[in-house]
Amino acid sequence: MTAKIEVIPIETDVLIIGGGLAGCMAAIKAAEKDVSVTIAEKADTRASGCAGTGVDHIWAYIPPVHEKMGYTIEDIIESHTKGIANGFIDQELLHLIVRESYNRILDLENFGLNFRFEDSKAPGKFRVVTQFHSAPTTLNFDGRDLKVNLTREARKRGVRIINRVNMVELLTSLDGHILGALGVGTRDGKIYHFKTNAVVTSTGRVNRLSRSLTGVWGNTRVPINETGDGRAMAFRAGLPIINMEFLSNAMYSIGNFELNLGSPRNTVQPAAAVVDGKGDILVPRTQFYDWDNPGEKREVSAGHGERPDYFALQDQGKGPFYLDLTGGTEEEIGYIEWSIRNEGKGSYFLDYLKNQEHFDFRTDKLEWLPNSREMAGTASSGLVVDKDLETGIKGLFAAGDEVGGLPWVCAPGAVTTGWHAGEMAAKEAMNRKSFQDIENDKPDALVSLCEGMYHNEDGLHWREVEIAVQNIIDHYAGKVRAEEMLLRAIDRLSDIEKNVTFRAENPHELGRCLEVKSVIENAGMVLRASVERKESRKMPFGFYRADYPESNDKDFFVFLAQTLKEGRVEFNKIGIKKIDENNIGS
Amino acid sequence: MFRPVIFDEKVCDGCNMCVEVCPLDIFERNPEKGKPPILKYPDECAYDGACWLRCHLRDKGAIKVVPPLPMKVSILRG
Repeated sequence: MTAKIEVIPIETDVLIIGGGLAGCMAAIKAAEKDVSVTIAEKADTRASGCAGTGVDHIWAYIPPVHEKMGYTIEDIIESHTKGIANGFIDQELLHLIVRESYNRILDLENFGLNFRFEDSKAPGKFRVVTQFHSAPTTLNFDGRDLKVNLTREARKRGVRIINRVNMVELLTSLDGHILGALGVGTRDGKIYHFKTNAVVTSTGRVNRLSRSLTGVWGNTRVPINETGDGRAMAFRAGLPIINMEFLSNAMYSIGNFELNLGSPRNTVQPAAAVVDGKGDILVPRTQFYDWDNPGEKREVSAGHGERPDYFALQDQGKGPFYLDLTGGTEEEIGYIEWSIRNEGKGSYFLDYLKNQEHFDFRTDKLEWLPNSREMAGTASSGLVVDKDLETGIKGLFAAGDEVGGLPWVCAPGAVTTGWHAGEMAAKEAMNRKSFQDIENDKPDALVSLCEGMYHNEDGLHWREVEIAVQNIIDHYAGKVRAEEMLLRAIDRLSDIEKNVTFRAENPHELGRCLEVKSVIENAGMVLRASVERKESRKMPFGFYRADYPESNDKDFFVFLAQTLKEGRVEFNKIGIKKIDENNIGS
Repeated sequence: MFRPVIFDEKVCDGCNMCVEVCPLDIFERNPEKGKPPILKYPDECAYDGACWLRCHLRDKGAIKVVPPLPMKVSILRG
């Protein structure tokens, strides 16, 4: 590459950054209004994001089921707040999700996804299971083709989809309005300069902060190309980012193939147990799917059960452990296979398991092994937004996993926040008449950055930089953290940030380099937030400080927000509204 | 180098759907029309199976995704 990189200007009323589940829903909703809508997607919307190759479950307050059982919307909010989030949640946003999730499910049904089953006796013929909450709120559905259908629906409404573009920079006016964004085409090598009046950022989670446990690069539960791009862009644009310290430690699941099949009691494994090599039961199998008989109303604060600390058991000489479905009936095994086929990488995994390993659920057991560390859903990191999902930059909205303070809202969070952010973004765009010209050096700076990578004989391959960053995170911000170690990590990361230059042979590699730059930005946020949280918070948060071993609700029952101001990072505490002062955070 | 995806060129019709949907963009179109794609970045495979899932000839064996040895599940046979 010697020619100057071409810059493509694109005007669009609404820009959606990241075409996962939230981004596609945002685009579809925004396109209902008289505005032009564009999705900028780093992969291909038909297979991208956490729902890329399917989702088999989504939770909701389901009026036909829950009204009959006597549950209210507030019951589900309370159950999620206490049993799942341990109080660490923005309840105003949670209310939107609980309230609207069922409506979005009906939309998904209109988009051709099947939620109803002839063999179900539950109201609506839904398959309803108890998973996250004290109430049976999870619907299992045929969600394998979710992203294919959403892509089709978006296109049908005139949404322009630009695949293979990594978004790297937000463009704002001096008075704090969003004006556009910059991205790099990872196939064509061009720079995309979007001029817009409203943006929804929905780039998902941040992955690749820690080494994949099996040593296989792509083997992580969350898609490997989710590199926290939205958080990095928002941080550089001066927005506060919360909860970055909660990079969790490994948990046990199906090893070595990491996928979202979760623990027993999960939708895909309602009939599974965990046993040790002698056949002794560690986690008993629970009830099979209960959509025939949702039962009586339960105490809303009931959690979904403790999980054993397999690492502690292993330290005591216990193990190996196995996922055991051998007690399942034919009907149960059929159900579990259907569920796996619709969830995440499950469709391919099931094919591999049956046709390459010749695994038989009736007789064989799968070894239960640790998963890689990941940015926990337990205290979700991300951007700070108001009740309409708008950030501190006017016209910039966040959706899905980009939103901070909403633990374990997953698919229902994506569909509801995406939809609402899309609607608000369209309204904002309609209020603004024309596109403003941007007088700044960011487009030129991005051209220089990219050209510099192409001609950089002394630059490093993205993968060696990534490994170095992961080594820092895993060594200094591991299971137990302490101030001196974290400060050393910040220095070492800063050395990399200042001194390392990248080398890219082509646009594909350039895209990876930009991803690693985003990972570095996110790693810095993890380390700084870890210093700032001067307390420990036990599982499910799993945040341990050797120098502050006790939990300190008085000072730290808060979201820690970090903001870049004039080259320095400032922290402030955002109070968490509690619904019950006596029962949360104690 | 890993070899995560194996095409059967007798079955694959070179439609390039896998090239289009792969989230990690590990394939490249074969310059020869009708031939299976080229696996350009095999060690960037995420084993999500999108290529296999969206292959219209997968039931006929056009494409096979094989996890590398460290990713193979550990099974206690009954």
